[in-house]
Amino acid sequence: MQTEATPAQADVSELDLVKQCQTGDTQAFDQLVSRYRTRVFGMIYNMVRNEQDAWDLAQDSFVKAWKSIGRFRSQSSFYTWIYRIVMNVTIDWLRKKQVKGTGTEFDDSVQLKEIDPASRTSPKAEALPHEHMERGEIRARIDAAIAQLSPEHRAVILMKETEDMQYHEIAEALGCSIGTVMSRLFYARKKLQTSLRDVYENV
Amino acid sequence: MKTFEEKWTAWLDGDLSEQERREFEASLPDKGAAEDEKREARKLGNLLREQLRHQSMNNADFFNHQLQQRIARESAPAFGSKPHSQSTRWTIPRLIWSGAAAMALFLVCAVFVLREKNPTDQSTYTTQLLKARVDPVVSPNATISMFKSKEDKVTVLWVDGLQSLPSEFAAK
Repeated sequence: MQTEATPAQADVSELDLVKQCQTGDTQAFDQLVSRYRTRVFGMIYNMVRNEQDAWDLAQDSFVKAWKSIGRFRSQSSFYTWIYRIVMNVTIDWLRKKQVKGTGTEFDDSVQLKEIDPASRTSPKAEALPHEHMERGEIRARIDAAIAQLSPEHRAVILMKETEDMQYHEIAEALGCSIGTVMSRLFYARKKLQTSLRDVYENV
Repeated sequence: MKTFEEKWTAWLDGDLSEQERREFEASLPDKGAAEDEKREARKLGNLLREQLRHQSMNNADFFNHQLQQRIARESAPAFGSKPHSQSTRWTIPRLIWSGAAAMALFLVCAVFVLREKNPTDQSTYTTQLLKARVDPVVSPNATISMFKSKEDKVTVLWVDGLQSLPSEFAAK
């Protein structure tokens, strides 16, 4: 995973920055935030699809990180650790939102029954009348498709496809097994292939 | 033992070993359809990367500023500074210790008082006469003195100057 700093700078000083944070140095934490804020914000935004909510959740995540950075033991990389906090905060928020709302946005028990693991997602869908979809329309279609996934499935597919994270890193960030990550990826891909086939075939 | 879903995902992502890949592909009923699906999964991945990866963040510096303000407000207790609420005078442990000390003091006092005022040390007469009252109008010169010997368990009440003594209080 890349940060806003150059890779060399990140490798050399990230651990030092964490150590300085552990002594209460808020300026060191400010530097860490600057490195990860855009990616953290982008990840949350892709999950919640609202800029203000993503901003607030990113703030909450970094505040939590600051409060618990004293317990960070460098056994995992900092970005995996921060992603775990981000995922906890965001998934909790999505779950609470689901409870408050209609609760129909995503429902694994329904969705997974709709997908036969052995089913073939091809043949190809029919092409749309126009060849090229507008960028805004594409984004809207993607957002709508992702909204149909459960928070955990969203997290897995986004970390894999947009963050290039490895299975074990995703598992660590979500606090689950690698097998669970792979299984969630399977269902998330199937669902998105069904929803977005006409999009990726025509872009 | 990997499930079908796990093997399929690892196959799509190219994470199977050469032997695992051969075994998995041999187990597929329609390898051509599976290859088509693999291509579709890659297209989906490319679409997501292209559309979602570069999410910009407006006012990034303000984000840091706001965060620093929040951190200052919610100042973390992890770095040795005790939160203000812990410095209040009556904490729960202090209240417990104070209660226990008060209870112990009360018990000590009660034991001393009960030792001094053991009702079995008093005779029937003393109790009765002490409860009685001398009317100063009827007996203006009356004086009452009490003598008590704990060892002999004897109490002598000396009454002087009474005009008369009710018959029920006469010595028997």
